[in-house]
Amino acid sequence: MSDRKLPRLLQTPAVLLLLVWMLVPLGMTLYFSFIRYVLNSSRRPEWTSPSISNWRGFGNYEFVLKSKDFLLAIENSLIIVCSILFLTVILGIMIAVLINKTFAGQGIVRVLLISPFFVMPAVNAVLWINMILDPVLGLQGIAVAGINDILDGLRAMPVLGGFFSLWPDLAPISFRATQTSAIAVIMMVTWQWTPFAVLIFMTSLQSEDQQQKEAAILDGASVWSQFRFLTLPHLGRPIAIVVMIQAIFHLSLYAEIEIVSRGNGNKNLPYLIGEFANNNIGAASATGIFAVILANIVAIFLLRMVGKTLME
Amino acid sequence: MAIVAQTSKFSTYGRPVLAWGVGLLFFFPIFWMVLTSFKTDADAVKPEFLFFFTPTLENYANMTQNYDYWRFATNSVITSVFATLFSLAVGIPAAYAMAFNPSRGTKDVLMWMLSTKMLPAAAVLYPMTFLTKSMGLFDTHFLIIIVLSLINLPIVVWMLFTYFKEIPKDIIEAAKMDGVNTWGEIKEILIPLAWGGIASTALLTFIFCWNEAYWTVRLTTIDAATLSKLIEGNRAPEGLFFGRLSAVSTAAVGPIVVLGWFCQKQLVQGLTFGAVK
Repeated sequence: MSDRKLPRLLQTPAVLLLLVWMLVPLGMTLYFSFIRYVLNSSRRPEWTSPSISNWRGFGNYEFVLKSKDFLLAIENSLIIVCSILFLTVILGIMIAVLINKTFAGQGIVRVLLISPFFVMPAVNAVLWINMILDPVLGLQGIAVAGINDILDGLRAMPVLGGFFSLWPDLAPISFRATQTSAIAVIMMVTWQWTPFAVLIFMTSLQSEDQQQKEAAILDGASVWSQFRFLTLPHLGRPIAIVVMIQAIFHLSLYAEIEIVSRGNGNKNLPYLIGEFANNNIGAASATGIFAVILANIVAIFLLRMVGKTLME
Repeated sequence: MAIVAQTSKFSTYGRPVLAWGVGLLFFFPIFWMVLTSFKTDADAVKPEFLFFFTPTLENYANMTQNYDYWRFATNSVITSVFATLFSLAVGIPAAYAMAFNPSRGTKDVLMWMLSTKMLPAAAVLYPMTFLTKSMGLFDTHFLIIIVLSLINLPIVVWMLFTYFKEIPKDIIEAAKMDGVNTWGEIKEILIPLAWGGIASTALLTFIFCWNEAYWTVRLTTIDAATLSKLIEGNRAPEGLFFGRLSAVSTAAVGPIVVLGWFCQKQLVQGLTFGAVK
């Protein structure tokens, strides 16, 4: 065998497997998105098996675009992803700069900080929504009840009591509700992924040019301008990478949304697809194609941004 | 100079205090889960037993009875281990070829592989369910192993590629001169030299497989259900079972968190494809 053919042969299994893994299901999704296909229908039993004779053209796409959940799901997907990105990058930079210098117990703090990243998403969500955020039995409920007890005590005081009785009791927030469930998801995912950002920014800070920094200090540059003009530009590439990797993961968030509220008021695209897939496969597939398009837009944008630096 | 003095004051007192505060804050939910796992279900929801309580091991002792923990844990171990091995078996030759015999298309292939990670899994949910059910693979270990290894394959190839690139090409060339064949090069030279990189790739892949929570939930019912599925199925205990739920959660994440402590560095190199050093 020639020297040139063999390398290609060696990467064939990987390429072929990924190709099949990507193209076969995606092709089926594309096909299903153009036909009428439901799992249960007593009225139209012919729609319950995929067949080209049930061709619907862009009907499923129209149906999805008109359903009230679709735009909400896109909006939610973007709100959740952008909020998490914003919070993790800001917190990540702040914490990385904080713990980058040597101090007593630096190693232990690092270990404490990175731990959330390895918690499986299902446990993360169950832990937060029950043990921490539950309005009655979780820490939130207990804390709110405790504060209200203290307020009650203050109100019973002889003179100052009148002042405190003007204060209302605190009301715990239910994070399974329509308006708040997205906040719960953002909170728990931010908790999980900030450590990732910290780790990457910290690694990058260690390669920062120290001589340049010392020169800046001698020139009397303030701490802020050192950060703004030296550290931040140095972090450009790691920020781009953190954004890209997180976008990949968070556009397909599922377990957290399922566990927090079963999608109540807080569906993202993957969740909406799952709901459609309980019966209306045509609509689920059309939504899937929309999700692919959205992911591609994000991917092209991000790969442009990061791709070059990866290949150096 | 005044600035220098200021920063050093912050460095001696402010920084350690603030850093420890942030570290403890981030670790607190995990600490809370572990602490709750040693409370009885009744104690776990009583404010008076928040921090001081009589610790019990009953939640761990009853894990099998309450949740059938070991069956799910066994499934997690089997699927994660074999998925890791399989993705390495496919990924090592591919990364080897790309690192030592790159062609003009190599960069594009690598980029394309990465882009498959961006394909939203949910988009192919029904076809996957349909295909696997009609092939009789639904809810089997085999299926979960294949799926887990394929979703991680791009990252495996990327990680290995960045490690292999750092091996001097001369070594491989010299071996070629000596008449060593390709299989010999991989087995005798590449694997021993890149052993550290391969091990950390394996470790990270194992962690990703263990924590995967989409396909393992949607493509299983009982036989191949993993720990993700177990926890997801107990999502809303309504406060009745905080103690036992904490215990099973701790058992599900404990080993992986500890494993994670040992591969922080590899995590950075792996997930940033060597672009951040």
